[in-house]
Amino acid sequence: MRRALGTVVAIVALAVASGAPAQSLRIGLAADVTSIDPHYINLIPNNNIAEHIFDKLVRMDADSRLVPGLATSWKPIGATTWEFRLRKGVKFHDGSDLTAADVAFSIDRVARIENSPGPFVAYTKAITAIDIVDPTTIRFRTASPHPLMPNDLSTIYIVSRKVASGASTEDFNTGRATVGSGPYRFVRYVNGDRIELVRNDGWWGGKAPFSGVTFRILKNDAARVAAILSGDVDAIEQPPIADLTRLSADPRFVVVSKISHRVIFFNFNHLERSSPFVTDRDGRQLARNPFRDLRVRRAMSKAVNRTAMVERVMEGHASPSGQLVSANLFGHVPGLEADAFDPEGAKRLLAEAGYPDGFQLTIHAPAGRYVNDEKIAQAAAQMLTRVGIVSKVETLPMAPYSARASRQEFSFHLLGWGASTGKASSPLRSLLATFDRDKGTGAVNWGRYSNPALDLLIAEAVGEVDDGRRRGLLEQATRLAMADVALMPLHFQFAIWATRKGIAYAPRTDEYTLAFQFRAT
Amino acid sequence: MSATPPAAPPMRDAQSPFARLAGDFFANPVAAFGLGLLAAIVLLAIFAPLVSPQDPYDLAQIDVIDGRLPPGSRSSTGSRFWLGTDDQGRDMLSAIFYGLRISLAVGAASTVLALAIGLAAGLAAAYAGGRFESFVMRIVDIQLSFPAILIALILIAVLGQGTGKVIAALVTIQWAYYARTVRAAALVEKRREYVEAARCLALPPARIVFRHLLPNGLPPLIVVATVQVAAAIALEATLSFLGLGLPITEPSLGLLIANGYQYLLSGKYWISFFPGVALLATIVAINLVADQLRDVLNPRLQR
Repeated sequence: MRRALGTVVAIVALAVASGAPAQSLRIGLAADVTSIDPHYINLIPNNNIAEHIFDKLVRMDADSRLVPGLATSWKPIGATTWEFRLRKGVKFHDGSDLTAADVAFSIDRVARIENSPGPFVAYTKAITAIDIVDPTTIRFRTASPHPLMPNDLSTIYIVSRKVASGASTEDFNTGRATVGSGPYRFVRYVNGDRIELVRNDGWWGGKAPFSGVTFRILKNDAARVAAILSGDVDAIEQPPIADLTRLSADPRFVVVSKISHRVIFFNFNHLERSSPFVTDRDGRQLARNPFRDLRVRRAMSKAVNRTAMVERVMEGHASPSGQLVSANLFGHVPGLEADAFDPEGAKRLLAEAGYPDGFQLTIHAPAGRYVNDEKIAQAAAQMLTRVGIVSKVETLPMAPYSARASRQEFSFHLLGWGASTGKASSPLRSLLATFDRDKGTGAVNWGRYSNPALDLLIAEAVGEVDDGRRRGLLEQATRLAMADVALMPLHFQFAIWATRKGIAYAPRTDEYTLAFQFRAT
Repeated sequence: MSATPPAAPPMRDAQSPFARLAGDFFANPVAAFGLGLLAAIVLLAIFAPLVSPQDPYDLAQIDVIDGRLPPGSRSSTGSRFWLGTDDQGRDMLSAIFYGLRISLAVGAASTVLALAIGLAAGLAAAYAGGRFESFVMRIVDIQLSFPAILIALILIAVLGQGTGKVIAALVTIQWAYYARTVRAAALVEKRREYVEAARCLALPPARIVFRHLLPNGLPPLIVVATVQVAAAIALEATLSFLGLGLPITEPSLGLLIANGYQYLLSGKYWISFFPGVALLATIVAINLVADQLRDVLNPRLQR
């Protein structure tokens, strides 16, 4: 009996091992998926799943360039109206047709999500009215010219009006309302554990290579690596840097990476009041906030050796940065390099600013949100200490960290920003424009930097219809902000994937792990 | 007052009780080895600033350029890292000495504080009896029914991080063990004739508690305390390993192990291994000493 069972197991194992292209894909994800509702929160891990189940009017390719999605073409008609033409014959997973009414419903639904910790409304706010011309033509009217409309709509997932009317976020999590038009259909969501999807054979973008996909949530770095080493999963995102040498050297695995759209930077507290985290060398609170002095900010930027940081802390899997978006994105300033490492110059600037003996600083960093975040903060603390800014590091999990950072509780804190629209306007608008809740600017301007000249340039750029002129304005704004060291960019991290041999993935700047982009080789 | 009997009448042996205990203790060579090891570790921890090649907490002295060097490498400035360096370029040998310092200090401080609180609560409960006793002992029961690490995690989440807060969490966990032990011992003593005699003499309660109940309840308490020092050190290391203990720029042993953990698969064993050995040696040494103390102080095992 036992032998017979063993034989069966062996045959099954053989069949699985030799079975032509694997039918189902198992992928290890690095972050929790908190909801399946595509409008609930603008969070990369959640969006990553939504990318499979739902479609958007405009999609982004692997280099964050806009490509047609549900919309086949779009153009401004008149100064304040955009017209999008929808793909014909697109069907939802339940067989019903996707029409302009569903698009209008989805955009409307975004604003009606209550208690969203990170709403998508910033991307739909500009729309003042929606006209459904016919089932495949839709127009969006805005109060003022809004050239970023295709970019903004590249973040909004289209749900079915029929199924999602009145549906709550919970209805999406259980699958009742989870009817999209994307390359995969929803099967099962187990919070904190896994998401199972099955292929939508009728997807307009072509049949995906794998008939099903199981996403496993493997937040722990070591567990994720162990899962791919043991063959539990076929691919993982964000393999820890410490294990890359080993994975690359192993013929059973392939490691691919690409410079990501995410810039890692330090935010200064620009408020008038000094925080308890900056003191003089004897621990007394400083009378004024030293970070309001450009010389201090520049000194700190010069004190940090970005090359050493990238080589030693990131082990080469990042690229030093002196600006907000990487070279392949719109609004990147060619030739704008990071401040060169110059500890002597930094000491001179500190002395000029009235801190010949430096001061004491507590650096804050999230624990485990960005690649090697805690180590980056510690290495920066070393470098700052060496020019006289005696630093220590406090780290905390991302949720309490972002809550405290957004209340301006920290003096100098580490953050990352992914330019999800693929353009420099994203970090400029969110990180550096003066904080204004009503206008929706400076939403993540947690240092409360405020520079009227920069605000003007950003506003002008956002309203500029001509691509060439807009690029010029964005570059000008970036130069201005960087000359003022409004924040301190460190590097662009690399998005990294490890797959088992026989499966290939084309790396993406937006860090998404998309099952339909995996190929059997 | 001259009629008061001496609290703990000293045995009029040829030896003093301490010398007798010492003799019994060193009869076991393993325990003697444990004590020697513990003494060496404590000395290393106390004199860490003198014997360490580097101050691992002074960020100006460590350089990320020297990160992850294997044991025996030379730094960019020419000094040698006998046990290698961690990811931040910290000399592992120095980091272990300083880490021992923190681990032992946290262990000792939390034990002394927990002992004092547990002792007071246990003695008071045993002497007062009645509702007060039930109240204190039910708190102890409730607390002991939760896993220690769970209580510690909740407390750290509420209090925040820092050395003082870790000690506070450890004290909160451990006082219950002492309270229970000392109450049991005191209850036994309370019914003895000499205590009754003391009561008949109308001695003040404080005197009965501190001169009669306390000294006779001490031996089991000493044993529990030694074991608990080791438990406190292990718990602190666990908290630090989970990233909830001490600041990352001042790593304790647990944090050093955690830092190296992610490099284990890539073959950089030394970042976790040596602090792990140091932690193991410390806890084993304390447990060896505690075991022997228990045997020596237990009258039923007296040879």
